[in-house]
Amino acid sequence: RLGELELDDTEDVSLDFGNEEELALRKAKIRHPLATFFHLFFRVSAIVTYLFCDWFSKSFVACFVTILLLLSFDFWSVKNVTGRLLVGLRWWNQIDEDGKSHWVYEAKKVPSNLAASTEVEARIFWLGLIICPVIWTFFFFSTLFSLKLKWLALVIAGISLQTANLYGYIHCKLGGQKSISKVTSRFLSQQMFQRVSF
Amino acid sequence: MAAAEEGSGHGGVAKPLFAGLSDVSISEDIPVEGEITVPMGSRSPDEDYSTLDEPVKDTIMRDLKAVGKKFVHVMYPKKSSALLRDWDLWGPLVLCVSLALMLQRGAVDSKEDAGPQFAEVFVIIWFGAVVITLNSKLLGGTISFFQSLCVLGYCVLPLTVAMVVCRLVLLADTGTIGFIVRLIVVIAMFGWSTLASTAFLADSQPPNRKTLVVYPIFLFYFVISWMILTFTP
Repeated sequence: RLGELELDDTEDVSLDFGNEEELALRKAKIRHPLATFFHLFFRVSAIVTYLFCDWFSKSFVACFVTILLLLSFDFWSVKNVTGRLLVGLRWWNQIDEDGKSHWVYEAKKVPSNLAASTEVEARIFWLGLIICPVIWTFFFFSTLFSLKLKWLALVIAGISLQTANLYGYIHCKLGGQKSISKVTSRFLSQQMFQRVSF
Repeated sequence: MAAAEEGSGHGGVAKPLFAGLSDVSISEDIPVEGEITVPMGSRSPDEDYSTLDEPVKDTIMRDLKAVGKKFVHVMYPKKSSALLRDWDLWGPLVLCVSLALMLQRGAVDSKEDAGPQFAEVFVIIWFGAVVITLNSKLLGGTISFFQSLCVLGYCVLPLTVAMVVCRLVLLADTGTIGFIVRLIVVIAMFGWSTLASTAFLADSQPPNRKTLVVYPIFLFYFVISWMILTFTP
């Protein structure tokens, strides 16, 4: 009987080295380098241009248009490209035949293939998503109090575009099961307890 | 077999139609075969995820084509679901920025800051559109907030064309004839904008409120036309 369990001499035994590209991809910390770059590029350029616009150009109009275009490209790329590539989430607005509009939030089921995103990418994504609206809110107050009101429209546009993406992706992440306010309050109370018990 | 049963039924007392069939038995040798098909739902869940993995160029081209299609629909206004259902705000942004750029007064030559005029036009267009949308929603309109912004923004296209024409005319002739030409062009484009936007928006309102909705749109495009007409370089 043992003979039957042994491999026939003519059978092929394949040695599986694995596709070398696949192995490299498996080990890589960042699988979508272009997407990661662009996710941060537009946001950071908009902030940098706003801070140093006097150095770049004397014209208010040129700065305004440049920052506005950067913010719009950032909004589009984060909403349509980097979200689904880096964290597998997506949100959009859909209008039915009877004219009702509703917002759809989609999350990719956990994939195990090589195109899945890594932890590093996800961390970069969320950090970029959260920090920038905070910076723009800070700009809002500084513009308001220094009375440079001609920039106010731009800052408000920046805050709304970036906060819209932030809100949309948090909604996707939560999967619409719990309300955002409940999760935020629970998170904040956890943070408070951790600090108090220190 | 069934026919024979029916035949015997006719001759005698009228029996209920299928009474004899209870005696009919199917021989076990006859194979019973057939198909049971369950009609598939129109969209399986996997189809929705197909655009989740598409390459970026596809996304860009798709969005650009959608924007271009909407521009065409504005120039030839007829019932189109493209403007209403697949709204986007890229067209309005481009139109608003180009109109604001063209409405600057002598920014290139003078040392004065052209800032206020640029931001003014911007704020007028966006704030005006938001106010009209709120107005139509308060009057009970069924259209959504962003849909309305989309339509109002895209319908600024004829006025942007009027601005281009006006600037060209001003390069050639700043006298009375030039003014009359500009007046005619602006009035024509203003009419076109207002008609195009009411064609899309008025349907979503109850019939007795149509005038209440059309009037702010009229005012909005009137203000923009006024800015275009009174522009001097």
